[in-house]
Amino acid sequence: MKRKEGISLTAVLAILLVGVALTAGAGFTMKATDQAEFCGSCHLMYEAVRTHQQSVHSQLDCNECHTPDPFIPKMTFKTYAGMKDMYKNTLGNVYDVIHATDSTKEVVNDNCTRCHTMTTLNVETVKPHCTDCHRQVPHLRTLPIAQRRVADE
Amino acid sequence: MNKIYFSIVFILFAIYLVAGCTEVPEPQTPSYETTLDASEDRNSAFKEFFPIHYQTYLQNEDDSQMTEYGGSVPHEKHLCGDLPKAYKYCQPYLKNLWLGYPFSFEYNRARGHTYAVHDVLDIDRINRYSEQAGLPSTCWNCKSNKVPGYAEKYGDDFWAMEFHQFREEHDMDDHTIGCNLCHEPESMDLRITSVPLRDAFEKIGIDLENATRNEMRSYVCAQCHVEYYFQDAKFGAPAKPVFPWTQGFNPPETYEYYKSFGSTTREGFEGWFIDWTHPVSDTPMIKAQHPEFEMWQDGTHGAAGVSCADCHMPYVRLDGKKKISSHRWTSPLKHIEQSCLQCHSDKQPDYLKERVIYSQERTWEQLMRAQELSVKAHEAVRLASEYPGVRNADYDQLMIQARERIRKGQWYWDWVSAENSAGFHNPAKAIDTLASSQQYSQQAVNLAMKATNYGIAPDLEGNIYEVVPPIEEHSRKLQMSQEHLDTHQWFQYLPKFEEADLVWDLNKRVSN
Repeated sequence: MKRKEGISLTAVLAILLVGVALTAGAGFTMKATDQAEFCGSCHLMYEAVRTHQQSVHSQLDCNECHTPDPFIPKMTFKTYAGMKDMYKNTLGNVYDVIHATDSTKEVVNDNCTRCHTMTTLNVETVKPHCTDCHRQVPHLRTLPIAQRRVADE
Repeated sequence: MNKIYFSIVFILFAIYLVAGCTEVPEPQTPSYETTLDASEDRNSAFKEFFPIHYQTYLQNEDDSQMTEYGGSVPHEKHLCGDLPKAYKYCQPYLKNLWLGYPFSFEYNRARGHTYAVHDVLDIDRINRYSEQAGLPSTCWNCKSNKVPGYAEKYGDDFWAMEFHQFREEHDMDDHTIGCNLCHEPESMDLRITSVPLRDAFEKIGIDLENATRNEMRSYVCAQCHVEYYFQDAKFGAPAKPVFPWTQGFNPPETYEYYKSFGSTTREGFEGWFIDWTHPVSDTPMIKAQHPEFEMWQDGTHGAAGVSCADCHMPYVRLDGKKKISSHRWTSPLKHIEQSCLQCHSDKQPDYLKERVIYSQERTWEQLMRAQELSVKAHEAVRLASEYPGVRNADYDQLMIQARERIRKGQWYWDWVSAENSAGFHNPAKAIDTLASSQQYSQQAVNLAMKATNYGIAPDLEGNIYEVVPPIEEHSRKLQMSQEHLDTHQWFQYLPKFEEADLVWDLNKRVSN
């Protein structure tokens, strides 16, 4: 009887430890795959990461703008976007010029207002997206090409 | 079994960690090493090393597509009508305004670089009816891959050599504007092979050795897409190409520049540079040639550092993956998605096209008015110089002033006309230049009228197209025919050429 209780305590502890390890691992993975170092591991994303590094948002993770903030939507968005990007990168074809999809534009815009709510609290914003005025925020896109791109990426 | 599983998982995790730590490099261009010789001048030699770049280069052979105001069909620029010989946007007075100058024989819309040698061999501006081309070897300067080699071999003697001498050495595909003019054959680094551009930059203090990549992406084009002239022997190597930039890049500054560097003793124009004397108005003229670089450099895009290559050599992914610079130089309106939308990603292609046409339409309208006034100015001075009635006491001085205004007015419109963006590269400058042109030409008319105490005024009234009809047909062959020379009042000022047969058909001699 006593012996049995001891075993089950060890088992519970072990399961708990595994749970903590898995949770920590998942958390670490989630965080790591939000960051420019990870996103920039595909050459196609070099331009995006390069311009991100030069920008005022360089200390933020890519996915602080590029995925929804709440946990559940973030998980589903990340999974879908990651799978799509992997497909495009391997079996699919990449466009000559890469543009954000409409859903990404909406997600990014929500994240603008998420962090900058207080700034715009007392004004009515009339353009559809914040970046319609803050035009350099989308990856310094009016810089000459030589400052953003090179061949082979 | 478990060990193997564990190992696989561990390795995958390690790869993932390494992947996640990749540092994104600065925009460093990829480096290459070919086995080509530094003096390689054949395009085909580069093909095996850079097959997909070469593939985009060969796309320059498409000369079938027009845009609204530009495009690649090599129609005659003065002819109004249907493609491929004529076009709806034509400049009907070009042959009148360039009368007495080779440009009145033939002047077509530019097409792809792959045709450059073919077209320079085929053009009627160079005299193919004679052993003397009438134009120097400098005309090869911006057409041929062999020019860097010639410049090395012959030095400054090359420029004044006989153009025809080099015809047979040219293969029309292998030696037309290609790889070696912009690239070091060994490393493929961007380079400037143009003698006049090196000279010009040295004079105005632009240091090519320290040029940024962004600057080089325009300078390689500035080797050729610029205004130039052939040096008068009094100032150095005869017929050497020179870019007139020491006072500035623009029409007013280059006009001042050309008040020097010539050897004429003509009263009122002593020492001025003269390309030719217009036979109808007897005016010492200057000819403008494709000042794309000068137009672009202080325009909205140029001033913001957007290079030629940004729009004309957009990155494309031919294999769906890695980017290469497209080497198809043509109107970006044919590939707005690749060219414009890499910056203007919030705009639709149709919107961008409309914005381009917005500038071009207005530029074109004012260019037409400027050319009409320029024709009227030549006609006014022609009438004044033959005026039998009572002349103004100050007649001679007024006529000098009138001719100076003709020269200036024509320099200004030609600067816009010769430029290949129909105003888009610099909308405000294009319109300003054309407005100035119209003022100078009108001043010429006024001065000529005053010189005749307004006696010629009635002859200048009415529709200019009836007063001076546009010249539709003219060529070296036609100038051998008196019958042709009797068809237009302005032809009476041209000498009749002696009958002659073609000596050259492209790079082949056809008669002796």
